[in-house]
Amino acid sequence: MKPDTSNNICDESVFDTVFKSNSKTVYNFIYYKFGNEEKAHDAVQEAFVKLWENCSKVTPERAKSFLYTVANNLYLNVIKAEKVRLKYADKKLKTTNETPEFILEENEFKEKLEKALNDLPEIQRTTFLLNRIDGKKYAEIAEMEGVSIKAIEKRIHLALKSLREKIDGI
Amino acid sequence: MQENHLAKWLNNELSEEDLKIFSKTKEFNTYQKIAAVTKNLKSPDFDTQKALFDFKNKDKNTEPKVVPMWPYKKFIKIAAAITLLLIGSYFYLNTLNERIETQFAEQKEITLPDNSEIVLNADSKIAYDKKNWNTKRNIKLNGEAFFKVAKGEKFTVSTENGTVSVLGTQFNVENRGAYFEVSCYEGLVSVIYNGKETKLHAGNSFLVINGKIANLDAPKNGHPSWIDNESTFKSIPLKFVLAEFERQHNVTTSTNNINVDQLFTGAFSNTDINLALKSISVPSQLKFKLEGTKVLFYAENMP
Repeated sequence: MKPDTSNNICDESVFDTVFKSNSKTVYNFIYYKFGNEEKAHDAVQEAFVKLWENCSKVTPERAKSFLYTVANNLYLNVIKAEKVRLKYADKKLKTTNETPEFILEENEFKEKLEKALNDLPEIQRTTFLLNRIDGKKYAEIAEMEGVSIKAIEKRIHLALKSLREKIDGI
Repeated sequence: MQENHLAKWLNNELSEEDLKIFSKTKEFNTYQKIAAVTKNLKSPDFDTQKALFDFKNKDKNTEPKVVPMWPYKKFIKIAAAITLLLIGSYFYLNTLNERIETQFAEQKEITLPDNSEIVLNADSKIAYDKKNWNTKRNIKLNGEAFFKVAKGEKFTVSTENGTVSVLGTQFNVENRGAYFEVSCYEGLVSVIYNGKETKLHAGNSFLVINGKIANLDAPKNGHPSWIDNESTFKSIPLKFVLAEFERQHNVTTSTNNINVDQLFTGAFSNTDINLALKSISVPSQLKFKLEGTKVLFYAENMP
């Protein structure tokens, strides 16, 4: 009997699909954690090497959480002494009909927000940004991290709360 | 208010009632701003295609590093097996007896570990235990050999016909089928034949032909004549003389109308075949024909 390769990660086309749909999220996941692009790149490579080595044991459905677990475990023992300084890609302003005051105020707010984000506990920041930037649903993040949706909601709630407090200065 | 209402609100799950209360709080404005700005944040650029390309290239680089270990493992297994076999056979062969053999028309001189000497006549074999030689001087003989035994433990020569043992002497043993002869040239030799021991003093020979024992006169020189490339016989049936002739000159003999049991006394050269043929044929009144490696002896008075 021929093994069913259409549903097997060992099949190169299936693997490529998994890679294309998950690599960026794995990258961001590690990036939000450490604010280090090099680590994020390495994590992507490592996680997918592990997935390829275990392709016969991991089903495509479980591939996602497998990848995040590997990426996460990779840096478990890394000392988190470095201060996280996340950089965000420059976004060109779409609207030019705003007043200079508004733009200035907006930039000021953005600066405050970025600082507040950097100060968040790593777990809250990762969860929050996966939702805000990558548009991941709570359920999806919960599946990735292997926790309940409620736990994700709690993290988002606390993240929002402390961001607001930092920006407003309570 | 619902549990984790901020998360619910961000996910548009807040009930209308709660939303009304929440929107009236003074913090609501900031929350709204946070939600709006974070939605427009972008993570650093990540090139999926390039990452996949890197991955595939990395895959190619790492795989050969890992995979080739396995064939070597197989090779090492085979190498280990061969090494074990070689070591095993080396030790096995070491325990085997040392064997020395001579072909027709060949003589060999052998020095034993205790400096005893053996001269092996043509078509003869000896075997002995080289490793335990000093504690057990025992030689198996098939054929004819001359021994110069160094002083020491009992020196034994075992043959199918009988056993010869000495302490240190020079003696010759010939053991060929029905023919068994021991000649002592120096010292004292003990010959056990059919369970009966015979002591041979220097200058005596012990001869058995077809089970008949005959004590012979002393050989005159300090060693048997064949050492000097001459075969000597005294009242020996002709068939044994011819057999020795075959061995010394590497030929085959045949006889026609001849009594091979007639006794022969004399000697023949082990180097010159023509001289040897004359030495045998003239005293026995025979004629011979030499063709290559075949010799035919026939009666002189044949019609």
